[in-house]
Amino acid sequence: MREPLLASADFDPAEDAGARDGAARSERRRFVLLDDTGFDEVPAKYRRFYRRWRGPGDVLAENEVLCPVCRVVIRSARELRPGDRVYCMPCMSRLEVVRGEAGRLEAIVRY
Amino acid sequence: MTLEAGELHERDHEGFLSEVHSFEFWFQSVEGYLHGHPHGVSPSTPFPELAPDRRAALVATLSTYCVGELTALEGASGMIGFAPNRATKIFLATQVADEARHLEVLLHRLAELGVEDAEAGFEARANRHLMAFRERLLAYVVEKDWLAALFAQNVILEAMEFAAFQTHLRTADARTAELLGGVLKDERRHIGFGENALGRHLASHPDDRRRLREVRQSLEPLVFATFEDAALQVGLPAAERPEIARLYLDSVARLGLGT
Repeated sequence: MREPLLASADFDPAEDAGARDGAARSERRRFVLLDDTGFDEVPAKYRRFYRRWRGPGDVLAENEVLCPVCRVVIRSARELRPGDRVYCMPCMSRLEVVRGEAGRLEAIVRY
Repeated sequence: MTLEAGELHERDHEGFLSEVHSFEFWFQSVEGYLHGHPHGVSPSTPFPELAPDRRAALVATLSTYCVGELTALEGASGMIGFAPNRATKIFLATQVADEARHLEVLLHRLAELGVEDAEAGFEARANRHLMAFRERLLAYVVEKDWLAALFAQNVILEAMEFAAFQTHLRTADARTAELLGGVLKDERRHIGFGENALGRHLASHPDDRRRLREVRQSLEPLVFATFEDAALQVGLPAAERPEIARLYLDSVARLGLGT
């Protein structure tokens, strides 16, 4: 038995798949930033948004990006994507998330 | 204005800058890592025994750091008088407090190492290239040349200090490493302030890049000579020496002041 939608002359399977992909893309993972990362360089209420970078072997999570100015890891309560804006409070920088040449998310300064 | 934490990154830029340039932000930030650390060191951190040659090298290195901190103290305090707006004056006032603390804890560490009258002798023991850099920077301050002074102090000098301290604390004794770790946390603010303030200015005054490139070219021989001497003094392997200047070179490139 055919699905009712497939019976419709207007139905386009490719368009439907694209719509599903688009919906999936728009749903971002949320993160609860309750853990104490030990970062003590900003007022207490903001400390959960930052953690120390552990060097080149450090793996960044989907909600993290490295500040190119002061090398602190910035954390967000949501998955980060290219075009997002984040703030590095320890060095007072406004940053934009971009996709780097290696395919990883990076941050560039937006003065 | 102090804002609630919420999702910090959704704030507007103006509100963010207003908060991070405030004295209140500074006070709450430094409280986190300075409280309970007289002279920048935890009371439980032991006093290490240093071999005579290692002690002599450390005294020379700390004396050079004292010159850097004294320069920044005098530079930042002088710049308050001709800074372009209130927020910048307030930020510089917090930097003056930081630099004064740095000088004080470094002199205290020299005294711990047995240096008599550390304050009277540190300039004579310091790196001659940094002494020459100091003269140039303070001349910009006397001339009230805001752009050159900000670039020389908060981009070049602060990047030199940040790189030197970060490298040194990897091999330093426990008390010196802890002291330098606390100073580094302050330097993050100073570096970021300098690059961002210059970046915002250059976005609306792109022609000023030519002037800052001239400043860069005139100071760079002193900068690299200081980096080289600092790398030798803290025993950095030759292969790692180019890394010590990377922070400075990256900042210059982001500002569009590269060659």
